[in-house]
Formats: sequence, structure tokens, C-alpha cells
Amino acid sequence: MSTLLKVMLLGLLSMSAYAEEAKLEKIEVATDKPALARGAEDWMNNCHSCHTMKYVKYRDLLNLGIDKAKVDGWRGEASLDTPVIAQMSEADDMATFARVPPDLSLMAQARDGGPNYMYSYLIGYYLKPDGTAGNHVFPETKMPDPLGISSASDAAQRSEIKKTAGSITSFLTWAADPHAGERTKLGNYVMVYLVLLSGLLYLVKKQIWSRLK
Amino acid sequence: MSGPIINWIDKRFPLTSFVKHELTDYPTPRNLSYWWNFGFLAGIVLVMQVATGIFLAMHYKADASLAFDSIQHIMREVNYGWLLRYMHAVGASAFFFVIFVHMARTLYYGSFRAPRELLWWTGQGLLLMLMATAFMGYLLPWGQMSFWGATVITNLFKVTPFIGDDIVIWLRGDYSVGDDTLTRFFSLHYLFPFLIIGAVIVHLVALHTVKSSNPSGIDLKAKDNIPFHPYFTAKDLYGLGIFLIVYSVFVFFMPNSLIEPANNVPANPMVTPNHIVPEWYFLPFYAILRSVPNMFGGVVAMALAVMMFAFMPFLDRSRIPGGARYRPIYRIQFYLFLLDMLVLGYVGYKPPTNPSIVVVGQVATFCYFASFFVVPFVSKMEESWLIKRGLPQGIMELMEREKRDLEERKQEHRRRKGDTV
Ligand code: HEC
Repeated sequence: MSTLLKVMLLGLLSMSAYAEEAKLEKIEVATDKPALARGAEDWMNNCHSCHTMKYVKYRDLLNLGIDKAKVDGWRGEASLDTPVIAQMSEADDMATFARVPPDLSLMAQARDGGPNYMYSYLIGYYLKPDGTAGNHVFPETKMPDPLGISSASDAAQRSEIKKTAGSITSFLTWAADPHAGERTKLGNYVMVYLVLLSGLLYLVKKQIWSRLK
Repeated sequence: MSGPIINWIDKRFPLTSFVKHELTDYPTPRNLSYWWNFGFLAGIVLVMQVATGIFLAMHYKADASLAFDSIQHIMREVNYGWLLRYMHAVGASAFFFVIFVHMARTLYYGSFRAPRELLWWTGQGLLLMLMATAFMGYLLPWGQMSFWGATVITNLFKVTPFIGDDIVIWLRGDYSVGDDTLTRFFSLHYLFPFLIIGAVIVHLVALHTVKSSNPSGIDLKAKDNIPFHPYFTAKDLYGLGIFLIVYSVFVFFMPNSLIEPANNVPANPMVTPNHIVPEWYFLPFYAILRSVPNMFGGVVAMALAVMMFAFMPFLDRSRIPGGARYRPIYRIQFYLFLLDMLVLGYVGYKPPTNPSIVVVGQVATFCYFASFFVVPFVSKMEESWLIKRGLPQGIMELMEREKRDLEERKQEHRRRKGDTV
């Protein structure tokens, strides 16, 4: 029945090859705390005005190692355990964009392409001939170019913006699945344990079956 | 077993004889390959799903306005809640994977043939219950795909003659999928696994009545049977280790590969996702549903597609034992069928906007049913071809013995009938 396995593998491979179609910029997201803290700050500075992250609390930002004073500045009167809510009111959103900007807590997992989509979207703005900004990834988007990459022509400035977009993407990827680091770490131990266990079970099986003539 | 406690119990409950009969003396063919591990694995996955599910239910809120948030509460705040949820979500896929392999093994080796028809049919019932449970469970996270998947599938019941609309409302508890749908799906999602456990017991009783088939297809004489314990408990546990390694790769390193991105957006009845896809294990059947241009026909075709397996004991008319092992043409049919399943799965995954995909889906749907309907003719022709070509001695003897037995039973039957007249 080994042919069966080969046929199945072939099928799976061809499926994954077709899975993604839009060409997105690839990004390697950072997972270390300092990078995430930087991403959180960049997010606060560039996105918090419009976007909410209802599953992220100010205390979570503190736990990433961000300065207490900074977090206090952001939260104002709110307690550490309140979620990070957009500064702009929903009524103003409707008046300005005709929609409420979506919650970003899960956004890094809520679109095909995940973090790659997020990153490509942020740096996908360009200047159209009529002087307004368009976007390669989401052409009809109502979000104004938040990092200003469409009007940046200087190479150094552009790479600086891309770096910011990358660190924001890393932060949002963390926010979508905050236990991912803990998960892979535990996963490594589990794998080692299971491989050893299976090896032992194999030996037990061999030993028991050797009683048969 | 001995000792005063065991003795005390044995006077009141057949413990020792039960263990003896079902485990330490239970005869199992010595030549079972690792493909025979998957029934045991399905049992383990069932237990894991129930265990993780019970703990998830302690933190989950079956309320349309709270369900999505409660999943995030589990993922973020509950101690190891993320582990419970990923184990349960990956477990659903693992369950179907294991069951599909288990079914493929049965089909390949012809284990569904007499005297194992009831074993096969209880398995078919288990498949249906598993599908229902998975479908209802998928609504609970209350994401976009949950909501729209449930909407599309419950809507299919519209095609029921005369009372279609009422049935849809009855299933949903409302005119559209909403809070009432969520609460009833949650209730039933909690109930069904216990019905499945009951059906598994029936399945096992049937198995222990007819005993396992084996790769040679020949009823082994007593000397080739070995006790289930310790030989197959050891082999099954080793298989479990390998299974858990694969399962853990998904749980710990790629748990989101099986979750549709759109399901990380809360359910919104006002916004239809541009592409509604079911979970991977439903894709072939979904493709069949969509391949029939008429909705009534599509629903009937899909239901029939799932049920086709139950007809196999009638369709397969070859008397040659051992399934594909001694039947080269049946073997080819088996692999072509698997290939067709993969094609259907791919078609089910793609949006039906591409006309060539639609055509491929229709051809594959035709092939799906054709591969069942040709079985009676092909199996009969293959049988006479193989007999002419010459079969191994043991197999010919077995077939002759089976034929004699059948003749004898028929005569017996006739005699008894004659008595009563
Ligand atoms: C001026 C307000 C504003 C700012 C600042 C802003 N956004 Fe947005 N954002 C929006 C609006 C409005 C939408 C809805 C776009 C739409 O659906 O057309 C949106 C949508 C999005 C989306 C979803 C796109 C999709 O596929 O639906 C992402 C991701 C996003 N924003 C990320 C960001 C990030 C990251 C930042 C900070 C760098 C940011 N936004 C800053 C207003 C804003």
C-alpha cells in the first residue's frame, strides 16, 4: 500500500502549490521581546488613532517590557486591564471612512497570506497619476496610507518605513497568538519526549513479538 | 488473575473471564499489518476529543454575542487554554484522517465482505455521526466561516419535498442561523460524542463476534492466531507513539494551518465571505454537491456519495478473498478511486468561478459514482479471469469450502421450510 502514500503526498503537494495566488512580499516576523516592544510602540504611534485591539490589554504591553511611564501615558485614566481601544470614535469613523476600521488583534491571522498580507498591504501604497494614493494589495481600501510610504521617494526613508511596517507586523502576529512562543518551546520538549517514548515502545513491541516462533 | 480481591469481584462480576475473552485470549491474526492500527487510533482520538472538549466547555460560552470572545478568552487567559483548543481543533482533523485510512484499509483488503457486513455498516453509521458532530462543532467558534458554512449546509434541507422550508427553520431554531442555532448545535455537539461511544461499543461487539480480517483474506487456522494482549496492545501502542508525533507537529508547530483565516473574523450576517469553503474532510463531498447543476440533485448526490460505501458488500460480487491483495483489477480500481477523491477535494477547495474546474468536478463526480457501479460487473469478470489464470492453492480451497458451506446452508434452509409446510 505504499503507492497509496505516494499518491496522497502528490495530491497534497499539488494542492499547496495552488493554494496561494496573489504575490505578496514575504516577511520573517520577529518573536523576541525587544522587537515586539518596538513593534507595539510603532503600532501605538501609527495605528492606535483609528484601530482597536480588543484582545490586547495595557498590561500585556507592560509585560512585553515597555516602559511603565509610556504605557501610563497611552492609557491615561484607564486601568491596566482595559483593552486597547481606538482613539477615534466610531461615529467619526463612519463620517470619515464610511466604515469602522477593523479590530487588529486577530488581523495577522484573519486574511489569506497572514503576516505577509499585512506587511504587503502596509507597504503597498503608491502614488497614482492624479496624486492620490492607491494600494497594490487592496486597491479599493478606505484606509489612508498610514506610514506614508506612497509619498516617500528617498531610498533610506523607504527602507525605514519598511522596517516600521515589519516591526508592526511582528507585533500584530504576536498579538494574534500571544502564546505561540511558549507553544513552540513546549512543542520541542513534547517532540523529544514522544520520539524517545516511541523508540522505547518499538523495542517493547519487538521484544514481545520475539516470543513468537 | 488471582488474589482475594479479584476473586471477590469474579464472584459478582465476570471480570477475569471478560479480560480473558476480549484481550488475553482474544484470537487475532498474526499477520495484521500496521494498517490495522487505525481502529485503535480512532478510539484514542475519540477519547482525546471528549476529554479536551469537556474542559473547553467549562470556559466556552454558547451565546452569539459572547462565543467568539470566549474562544479568545480560552486562547489568551485560560491556563493552557490554547493547548486545549488546538488539541481539539487538530483532533477533529486527526479523527477524519484516521477514519479515512481505516476505511481505505477496509476497502483495500475487502474487510467489508461477509461475515463483516454489520461491522462495516455500524462503521458507516459512525462516519455519519462523526460528520454531524464535526459540522456542529465548527459553528461554535462563531467566526465567518462557521456562520456561513452552517448557513449553506442547513439551507440544503430546503430541497426536502413539501416541508423543506419548515425543516430549515426547525434545524436553525430561527429563520436564519443565529443564537438559537448556536445553542442547539452546542447542546448536540456535547451529546453526539456519547452516542458515538455507544455506537463504538456496538462496533466492537460486532468485531469480536466475527474477529479481524487479515491481509491474506484467508481465515487463519488457530495456529496463526495470537492473543490480542500482549502482542497487539504492544503494536498498537507503538503505532500510537508515531501517531502522536504527527499530531503534535500540527498542535505545536502549525495549528493554524487547519483553521481558515476567515474564521478569525467574527460572524457577520451582513457580509458574505467571497469564498465559502468547508473543512478539508468535507471537500470531496462538497465538490459533488456543487457539481450537480440542480440543487435537489446536488443534495441527493452528496448524500448518496457518503452512503455509497454501505453498498459495497452487495456490489462486490467476487468470491476471491483478500481484497486487492489477490485481485489486480480491484487494486487498480482502488487507487483510481483514491485519485478521484483527491481530485474532488481539490475541486471542492477551488471557487467554482473557473469553468474548467467545474467540468473537472463534473467528470470526477461521474467517476466517483461510476467506480462504485462498475464494481459488480468488473468483480465478476475479474473473478472468472483469475480462476482461469490459476489461483494459489489455499485460496481455491477456501473458495470451494465457502461454496460448500453456502450450499449446505441453503439445503438446511429448504429442509426447514419443508418441515413447516
Ligand atoms: C486614519 C485612520 C487609520 C489609521 C491611522 C490606520 N488605519 Fe488601518 N484601516 C483604516 C480603515 C478605515 C480601514 C478599513 C479599510 C477598508 O475596509 O477599506 C483599515 C483597515 C486596516 C486593515 C485591514 C485590511 C483588510 O484587508 O481589510 C489592516 C490590516 C490595517 N488597517 C492595518 C493598519 C495598521 C497596521 C496601521 C498602522 C500602521 C493602520 N491600519 C492605521 C483606518 C486606519
